[in-house]
Amino acid sequence: MKRQIKIGTIFFTLFKYVMLVGAAVISLLPVIVCVFTAFKTTEEYNTTSVLDLPTQWMFENFSIAFKQANMLRGFANTAIILVVVLTCSIFISAMLAYVLNRFKFPGNGVIQNLFMFASLIPGIATQVTVYQIMYSLGFINHLYGYMIVLMGTDIISIYIFLQFFENLPVSLDESAIMDGCTYFGVFFKILFPLLKPAIVTSLVLKGVSVYNEYYMSNLYLQTKELRTISTALYAFTGPYGNQYNYICAGVLITIIPIFILFLIFQKQVYGGMAAGAVKG
Amino acid sequence: MKKQTLKRGVSMALASAMVFSLTACGNGGGGDKGSSSSGEAIPTIDQITVGEDYQDIKASIKVLTNRTDIVDTVYAGYADQFMELYPNIKVEYEAVTDYEESLTLRLTTGDWGDLCFIPTGVDKSELSDYFTPLGDYDTLDPVYNFVSEKTYDGTVYGIANGGTANGVVYNKKVWADAGITELPKTPDEFLDDLQIIKDNTDAIPLYTNFSAGWPMGAWDAYIGIAATGNPDFMNHDIVHMKDPFAKRDDMTGPYAVYYTCYESVARKLVEEDPASSDWESSKARINNGEIATMVLGSWAVQQCKDAGDTPEDVGYMPFPITVDGKQYAGAGGNYSFGINNQSSSDNQIAAMVYLKWLIEDSSIYEDEGSIPALKGEDLPDALADFEGVELLSDNPPVKGEETLFNDVNNQSEVGINNDDYPNCYLLECALYGSKTLDEVIDEWNAQWSAAQEALGVDVNM
Amino acid sequence: MSKQEAAVPKKKGGLTGLMKRREGQRILVIVLFMFIPLLLLVVFTYVPFIKMVQFSFYDMKYIGERTFVGLKNYIDVFQRDDIFGSLFVSLYYMGGAVVQLALALFFASLMVFKVKGASFFKGAMFFPYLICGIAVGFIFKFFYARGFVLDSLLQLLGMDLEDIPMWLQDQKINNIALAATSVWRYTGQNMILFLGAMMSVDSDLYEAASLDGANKWHQFRYIILPSIKSIVVLNLILSISGSLSAFEPPYVITNGTMGTGTYFVIMNRIAHENQKVGLACAMAIVLLAIIIICTVAQKLFFKYAFDDGTSDESKAAVRKRKRAEKAAKKMAQNGKGGQTA
Repeated sequence: MKRQIKIGTIFFTLFKYVMLVGAAVISLLPVIVCVFTAFKTTEEYNTTSVLDLPTQWMFENFSIAFKQANMLRGFANTAIILVVVLTCSIFISAMLAYVLNRFKFPGNGVIQNLFMFASLIPGIATQVTVYQIMYSLGFINHLYGYMIVLMGTDIISIYIFLQFFENLPVSLDESAIMDGCTYFGVFFKILFPLLKPAIVTSLVLKGVSVYNEYYMSNLYLQTKELRTISTALYAFTGPYGNQYNYICAGVLITIIPIFILFLIFQKQVYGGMAAGAVKG
Repeated sequence: MKKQTLKRGVSMALASAMVFSLTACGNGGGGDKGSSSSGEAIPTIDQITVGEDYQDIKASIKVLTNRTDIVDTVYAGYADQFMELYPNIKVEYEAVTDYEESLTLRLTTGDWGDLCFIPTGVDKSELSDYFTPLGDYDTLDPVYNFVSEKTYDGTVYGIANGGTANGVVYNKKVWADAGITELPKTPDEFLDDLQIIKDNTDAIPLYTNFSAGWPMGAWDAYIGIAATGNPDFMNHDIVHMKDPFAKRDDMTGPYAVYYTCYESVARKLVEEDPASSDWESSKARINNGEIATMVLGSWAVQQCKDAGDTPEDVGYMPFPITVDGKQYAGAGGNYSFGINNQSSSDNQIAAMVYLKWLIEDSSIYEDEGSIPALKGEDLPDALADFEGVELLSDNPPVKGEETLFNDVNNQSEVGINNDDYPNCYLLECALYGSKTLDEVIDEWNAQWSAAQEALGVDVNM
Repeated sequence: MSKQEAAVPKKKGGLTGLMKRREGQRILVIVLFMFIPLLLLVVFTYVPFIKMVQFSFYDMKYIGERTFVGLKNYIDVFQRDDIFGSLFVSLYYMGGAVVQLALALFFASLMVFKVKGASFFKGAMFFPYLICGIAVGFIFKFFYARGFVLDSLLQLLGMDLEDIPMWLQDQKINNIALAATSVWRYTGQNMILFLGAMMSVDSDLYEAASLDGANKWHQFRYIILPSIKSIVVLNLILSISGSLSAFEPPYVITNGTMGTGTYFVIMNRIAHENQKVGLACAMAIVLLAIIIICTVAQKLFFKYAFDDGTSDESKAAVRKRKRAEKAAKKMAQNGKGGQTA
């Protein structure tokens, strides 16, 4: 009996690692090939198999991509957008969730349903008419316009905060109010600091989606100076067709910063994702 | 890379989708907004003497282009030359990927820059919403080629950046090595020759560039003059014709063009995997003989020559259709330059001065191998092989029907010259054998008839 | 149950005065805190939505006059092969979503046990989620192009190029190839979600179970699965609307050619190239209707399929899930005691 279990365990362990290694390889392979390719000269790229290692690791493609795509500008724009949108989004969603969760007033349920229904409307579908609105507001070709529309479509964060508030006991509010705290005080002094896990979750989810957003930045930030990294990448690839040594370099440049951030904040990222999961 | 001239890809569709809305709701006529701004009155282009006038204007203008490949080299070079002549005017280029889609979108906001290629999606009736009048048709027509393409109500809003003749790019050496001594004159001869190339050489007989989209749309350019010899066909006849795509017994007309495309795919005379074809490298490959033939306008010739070490092998032949014993080639303008009517008047004037310098004094047409914008100058070398071929341009539509072709074309979704998808669909049908050519043609005819009926067009031909 | 009642201080005297002051403050907080999000919601979701509904009854381009055509656009949506047929392409993406959930579940279950180098494996699988859609598009164009990455790999494994299908062209396989890019991108992210839910189970349970001699399957069946049922079901539901609105892979990689056009890709084409704005709006509305129907149907299905809750744990899970779907519609009433992480 014991022996059987042992054999079973060994088999299971073996199976487990084979599977995991396989999955890791599949996940990383397309990117690793990109790395090989990005270091090749055009000559080498044209003559060798894509799976061959470059004979000389050269960074020229990266500097070409970095300069031509004006990635520096792209990173700066994206950084501004990230900071502003994430900060505002978190406050806006947390405040909304606080009101919807803690106060009973006519229309509360209706408003919650409005948000829920909005989450079912696929974003791309309404862009035709959203563009008209952005135009009449004069929001096109301004970073602030783009940032506002990103905040306006932020339903995920609202969900996360609503769920989180539900698990914060009302007694916290009550005792604070008893101590003479105003509702503002309750929110900013007592509850907001407790929202940290939810904030991390929405930072991760929203952060990744803002960083990767292409569609609307392409629509609403049209000039060269306003490109974000994803639109800069797209613009850069224009003249290169199938010359993947350059394209891969461009792709990697956009991946590297978020990869580094991920390595540093790995724990928080997983924690945030997991918290988001349990909260639904 | 002039590719986008003909392109109106599926990609970025949404982007431009929004676009038009603007005109629909907001600002409708940008015209009055811009021209009211202070500064000098805006002249017409014929009133400007380049090098003398407006030396005192201080302006910084932005020029948009689709040529992402040479914007920082060749185009920046033109700007530098011009700035020596006009030190007070600063010219800056910005290249736009997915030009057609992005530009239709950007036009609407009014702050896109000062000088651009007018997207083909802008209807003539909308030209005055976005662009500064450059002069009267009657004044400019004797001076420049192709001005009718951007004329509405007798006013010219854009001047073509030179022009293109429509034929077929081929590698002379490959064709000769395969043992072909005489250029084909009919679709069947052409297909036979491709077969000979396939049998006798290692080259890809015909490269479709399918995945880029626009090279498929480019086939539409031949269904007019090249296929019919009739300069009224595109702007008049096709609109009033019943079943314009139907097969004709003498193998002419649109059917012959689509037949050539369909059959070359069906007979496996094209690249093995059109879905991963690549435009940029195809230029080098036709230069070095890995590709034998590409069906593209004459603008492509210079780019193919520049892309490798054997420019002398790149040749250009007329499209293989013979109408009553004669071959024709259509000539049309490339993208036309237009000036933003919402810019300050100084910028508009500066842009007009630069435009005039560029199309009259710079080396742009020799560099690009285009038919020059000015009338009476030499045709590009690429057309040297067009001996005995008659070069014609489409006649403008008759008064009152300026937008009719556009309307029928859009309503029917056949998308001639403005939608690559139907041509891509044709290739897919040939590739998978899912539909015969006649079935596809019947669909298009039916769609065309339905559109004619919906729009109440006289069908009398 | 209303909280503000509870929140009213039970302090001595002046209760009504305090209440009044509180009432004013309460209204102020409600209005202030909700003003911006509601404004954004109305301006960027509902106004466009209403306009879309309106446009769907017109034959219109972006410019020029429009003609009221009643339901004609809707009839077209159902009659045109190219539009309605594209919904079938979504089935590939639905299939992909199921595979993705299954894989994520599988790997999360493996990872829940002790694994050497767990953080490497987690990181490797999660990593694709961080890459932007445009970059993913380029990576896979490169990956699938004839004679490039995938073909070279298979040749390395001894396959003949002749026997390898053309990934983006062959209609038997190209939609699968495209859907696979989504699977590649999101499996790791789903896995992390599931893993988070699994980890929220008290680890003593596993120990107790293994001491009891329960094998891995039993541990999975009786401990892991119940803990994540809600999140799995939620993700299944989300995947339906996600599959129906699939857009990025075909848009970036194939432009929707070779029969890979999904509903949104076709919609783009109709809105833009053909400028049939009314028809495109009608398509959007029809899709929304389908998504709503699917969501409701799934909810009902899972409600009856799973609500036989054999244990308290699963009942709480079901309830939890329901609440999640309803976006905390009825808060604070149902089992606060459910899992909290």
